Amino acid sequence: MACMNEDGQWIVLMGLLVAVGLFFLALIINQSALVGQTTAEGVLEFPKNDIRDLRSEILDYYSRYERINNHGDLDDVKDDIVRISLERKNAVVHFWNGTPEEITIHYNNGVTVYDETVYHY
Amino acid sequence: MVNDSGQLYTMEGIAAGLVMLLTAYLILSTTSIYTPGDTHIPDMQLEQLGSDVLAMMDTPDTHGATSALETYVNTNNSTDFKTAFLGYCNAKAIGTDTLHMSANVTYRGDDDQIKEHLLVEPDETWTGRESAVRVTRWVQLDKQTSQMRPYGSRPRAVLVEVLLWRA
Amino acid sequence: MVALIAVASMVPGLLAGLQSSGIDYDAVAYRTGVILTEDPGWPGWPVYPPWEMKDQYHKDEIERMGLAVSNETPNILLSTKIEKFFNDTFFTTDDYRSKAIFGEIPYSYNITLRSLDGRYNHKVGQETPEGYGYIRRVVKIKEPSVAVIDGSLKERYTISPGDNSTTRTFTVRLDFSRLLNASIDPAYRIDPLTEPVNITITNFSEYLNKTDETVKNATLKSVTFRRGSSSIRFPFPYDTENPDLYTLSLDGNPYDLKPEAPVESNISLVLKPPATSLFPLDQNSILDIRFTFENDPPHTNITGIHYYDYNPKNVTRPALKPAVLEVAIW
Repeated sequence: MACMNEDGQWIVLMGLLVAVGLFFLALIINQSALVGQTTAEGVLEFPKNDIRDLRSEILDYYSRYERINNHGDLDDVKDDIVRISLERKNAVVHFWNGTPEEITIHYNNGVTVYDETVYHY
Repeated sequence: MVNDSGQLYTMEGIAAGLVMLLTAYLILSTTSIYTPGDTHIPDMQLEQLGSDVLAMMDTPDTHGATSALETYVNTNNSTDFKTAFLGYCNAKAIGTDTLHMSANVTYRGDDDQIKEHLLVEPDETWTGRESAVRVTRWVQLDKQTSQMRPYGSRPRAVLVEVLLWRA
Repeated sequence: MVALIAVASMVPGLLAGLQSSGIDYDAVAYRTGVILTEDPGWPGWPVYPPWEMKDQYHKDEIERMGLAVSNETPNILLSTKIEKFFNDTFFTTDDYRSKAIFGEIPYSYNITLRSLDGRYNHKVGQETPEGYGYIRRVVKIKEPSVAVIDGSLKERYTISPGDNSTTRTFTVRLDFSRLLNASIDPAYRIDPLTEPVNITITNFSEYLNKTDETVKNATLKSVTFRRGSSSIRFPFPYDTENPDLYTLSLDGNPYDLKPEAPVESNISLVLKPPATSLFPLDQNSILDIRFTFENDPPHTNITGIHYYDYNPKNVTRPALKPAVLEVAIW
């Protein structure tokens, strides 16, 4: 039927496609409120206990300074901390002391960076 | 000339459209179901608990004493470490919990290699498929004169890693 | 048709709303757990007085209740804060919601603290239902120190022969500059401004004047507080008994600070932080607690100054007690 007008069908089809597209977009925006990190994932990702633990370990290292220094193992213990952090905790750790009581700590696990200067007795 | 076949086409198109919409809706809405495991809440609770227990075991009870954790690692005391750790973990206000653990100690050997030493073996509930959580704690060991521990005698920093799971 | 499509696309939005508040409970429980175990609360150190010393009239000044000793000692809880927090005659449900749990929705809660040896077994809140958000924290409890003066210290605290005075005074000295020593970790520090001071004299019969056979007890005339060695007494309601400020018991019976009563075997004085805060003290003050015994002729030979400091022979600091804290929110 050559005289049949098919433009209407095209318009309806296009209209339907647009409607489906709108529907899809509306759904995505709706779902975006739930997408993203939940609180638990946020807690798991932030290395609160790791940083606290590392900090107390470094301060402990400096508290035992004389004891370790007596046997000349200062660098060894420092290397222990740096190497094991890198291998097992996937974190880059760097620390040093300026004056005897001023200790600087740097920690970076790829997601969180932590820098601190501490005055320790 | 009015032809009915056009109306049939349109209706067919609308029906197809409705089917498409329904399918799209069904597929997309199923992705929004959140199971508790997806939110990692039990993992978070277990990890916080494990970190707390290791931190408390590493706190000396009196000023100037050595912490219990350091003593266990120094003397390689697997049974006491396991009993103490599980005692803390499974304590509840009413009743007890059913957590299990295994532990190993990562140290840097004298040959500059990072090695692991198994401190506590996993018990019979460990099949390898539990969702386990790993918690760690640094321990500073002094120079050891006796040969009791397998890490070497120089002062060293070691990492105690505990795997914790619910069974 | 378009309207139908729009309505159909809004339906998932309805379902999404129902899911999120259920996930919330664990997050709120975790947050409350962190506030209780890792936060000393506000007002807390360095602001003085801390929140656990606020009375009924100043309860609104408490912004946040935390149980930690300080923010440098997470998971170490202070016993005075624990006693105050779990006092649910002092705090109402709204207080707990606004000062510990926070959030716009009025959550139901159940917070319990139990020490592993059973000595602390506190609970506050409603009974838990079937499903709830939950967190469990393991902590250690710091308890106040005690100065125990028993018969074994007799040689240090007896008068020299030839002393003919009729009053006998025994002093316990708190030197704040020595006590508030910043090099000692807050978990082991003695802080009379925030923790009770406990002085216990036992085996008092060892300090009695043995030359007279009929002497079975000595009369404790008063307990006074002085700053340093000056004779200025602190203004204090000495003759009213107030268990919030202090407890004084002689042989197990409670008295006020002017007992004028005979004591045979033990004296126990607990001076609580609200009392210490009434004295104008700073970090360098010296607080003397003077026990005055008066008999004619004197029944006891006790004298001297006992230093309340970090020497383990002078003061016993109890070991940290492990405990478990659970928070349930629904």
